[in-house]
Amino acid sequence: MTTLTGQPSSEAIGYSFSKATSAPIREHSFYPYTDNGGSTLGITGSDFAILAGDTRSVAGYNINSRYAPKVFKIGGDDETGEGAHILLSVVGFAADGQALKERLDAVVKMYKYQHGKPMSVMACAQRLSTIFYQKRFFPYYVHAILAGLDEDGKGALYSYDPVGSYEREQCRAAGSAASLIMPFLDNQVNFKNQYIPGSGEGHALEPKKPEPLPRNTVEQLVRDAFTSAVERHIEVGDGLQMMVITKGGIEEIYYPLKKD
Amino acid sequence: MEVLLGITGKDFVILAASKAAMRGPTILKAEDDKTKQLNKHSLMAFSGESGDTVQFAEYIQANIQLYTMRNDTELGPNAVANFVRGEMARSLRSRNPYTVNLLLGGVDPITEKPHLYWIDYLASLAPLPYAAHGYAQYYCLSTLDKHHHPNITLDEGMKLLEMCTDELKRRLPIDYKGVLVKVVTKDGVQEVEFDNNRIVKCA
Amino acid sequence: MDKLVAQYSRPPHQDEFYSEQEQRELTESLPPLSLKFNLPPVDDSRAFLRAMTDDHSNPNCPIKLAHGTTTLAFRFQGGIIVATDSRATAGNWIASQTVKKVIPVSRLSRGEDKPSNEPTPGLLGTMAGGAADCQYWLRYLSQQCTLHEIRHKRRITVAAASKILANLTYSYKGMGLSMGTMLAGMTPQEGPALYYIDSDGTRLPGNLFCVGSGQTFAYGVLDANYKYDLTEEEALELGRRSILAAMHRDAYSGGFINLYHVKEEGWVHHGFNDMNPIFWKTKLEKGEFSNVTSEL
Repeated sequence: MTTLTGQPSSEAIGYSFSKATSAPIREHSFYPYTDNGGSTLGITGSDFAILAGDTRSVAGYNINSRYAPKVFKIGGDDETGEGAHILLSVVGFAADGQALKERLDAVVKMYKYQHGKPMSVMACAQRLSTIFYQKRFFPYYVHAILAGLDEDGKGALYSYDPVGSYEREQCRAAGSAASLIMPFLDNQVNFKNQYIPGSGEGHALEPKKPEPLPRNTVEQLVRDAFTSAVERHIEVGDGLQMMVITKGGIEEIYYPLKKD
Repeated sequence: MEVLLGITGKDFVILAASKAAMRGPTILKAEDDKTKQLNKHSLMAFSGESGDTVQFAEYIQANIQLYTMRNDTELGPNAVANFVRGEMARSLRSRNPYTVNLLLGGVDPITEKPHLYWIDYLASLAPLPYAAHGYAQYYCLSTLDKHHHPNITLDEGMKLLEMCTDELKRRLPIDYKGVLVKVVTKDGVQEVEFDNNRIVKCA
Repeated sequence: MDKLVAQYSRPPHQDEFYSEQEQRELTESLPPLSLKFNLPPVDDSRAFLRAMTDDHSNPNCPIKLAHGTTTLAFRFQGGIIVATDSRATAGNWIASQTVKKVIPVSRLSRGEDKPSNEPTPGLLGTMAGGAADCQYWLRYLSQQCTLHEIRHKRRITVAAASKILANLTYSYKGMGLSMGTMLAGMTPQEGPALYYIDSDGTRLPGNLFCVGSGQTFAYGVLDANYKYDLTEEEALELGRRSILAAMHRDAYSGGFINLYHVKEEGWVHHGFNDMNPIFWKTKLEKGEFSNVTSEL
């Protein structure tokens, strides 16, 4: 009755095929995601942008790796990312993050080959949004941040939700410790709830105006944010990978974090 | 789907309660009175689980009256509110608690200052200048935020109430059969005329 | 048994690489705003999506999407006022306080959206519900409007544009899109036109709409003071005050008040202002919000 040799051919008579059976296909509950934890953070300045992430990768309470980078160079000429002009950080489900990074990298490279010029950060930001949205009904379980320099040479930072809504911002924290880091950033980068001393009483107090911060200040803020997050979040630790993009190129800095 | 609204002013409290008594998809009565006078200067409006509402209100009313008779003195609105909250909290911890939301309006007979208390079935108590229960919260509180001032006269208060009921007529998809309006002043509780038949058009 | 054989008789790695179509998409010069979406390999993709992303029915869902809003738009003698808050929430977490929920829909108004008194031609769309859904489909609509402009040498009417969007949302009905949007614009054929479109496929023309979790609070203020004969200043102030009311009462709304005015020549941006100073100014100077104490 059945043949185990060769391909079953659809022309053959008397065979029932899986497609023809009308009984619903039984499925196990389909859960193709896991949370690999960690946190990322991006801050821009007047002529640079910093993207940083811890390097721990977890599954539940297990630490799988102490060096699994979350920040990637996009549009580089080779595996080392030499010649890249855009940075992407991904946090959430590492496999989706990897897939997303590779897809965006391919798109940015194809753009350069076809147009003979590098893709602008603004265009890349929009393209990343559509890449996310292509999987609207089967999302990438990833919070992404994109960084680069805009047409005026200013630092540009775009943050994304898992289905591709995006916004340009001065700073953004994502991942498991976002709720610990973001309030710190609001206060230290955008000067939220900071007032000019002696400018008035009560409601007349003048808020402190945010201005782009110098690079060394931002680097120190990033370190502070992560050392603090390590103290209070179990999924953050091991190492801090920082990428700084300036008109001179991309600089990578590694800074060890506590390994407990 | 019941409407309870309360507004305080210079020397009065307005309480308004919808007149429809509903059971499932039916309006059983279109002239229902969801208020109870507790003593000379306090009035309570109630909504919630049918059966519970009247039982709880009558229980409170009886006990407040008992207190007045025993001690030959009237409880002020604050004391009444805290008594009601206490009873509600006690009921909440019993086998079958009352599911009743309340607005308590009163004028202190000594200071002649109006008071309004918002109490829900979980025995939260909040003194407020204006308050609402049910869907009215969503539609009327923003209107009241904008137009209410602590020193309004009774006329202005009634205008304000009309703005609120107009909005409910415009946006609520059910007919709550108009509101019954009572006012508490230093002279006691009085029902006031309210035009529920005016037709309001959506913009 | 045959089923089993069929299952294993395919080349084992046939799905592992990019398909020809996907490869083409990668190499295409224009980003594809295509209508082809990746679906999960399950029987009921809707149930899957709901389990993964719907924090309303499942608070522990892994993927939290940005939600929650107050947006409003109303017609008056001087055009259309469009106003929104700027908060995006994912569960109880405030994901952003600086979301631009008014999205210009047209080729001509693509550039930077800076406040200026020069009207910019084109339509305005508002964003309520899923942030990504609104951003993506309003951009798709922009593309369709631009194509219309190129093909017919004149601007698309608001009626036609809203119909494109409504047909689109209707075709995805039940798939889990979440959007409540208003399209506002002024064309020589229609005058000031305002449409409400949502992810159920509803499309309604009207004078006045509020959309989002704070809609009722905005309606409360707007309905009480709305007249068609409002002056421009009155209309702008009413729009601003209605959003403020919703920000005050609805926890899912807040941040900045984003205000636009649609006129015959196009739309004008009237600022993206922090609600906090506006709230205290309203309270202290006009004596409103008497439920809030200003002293301890």
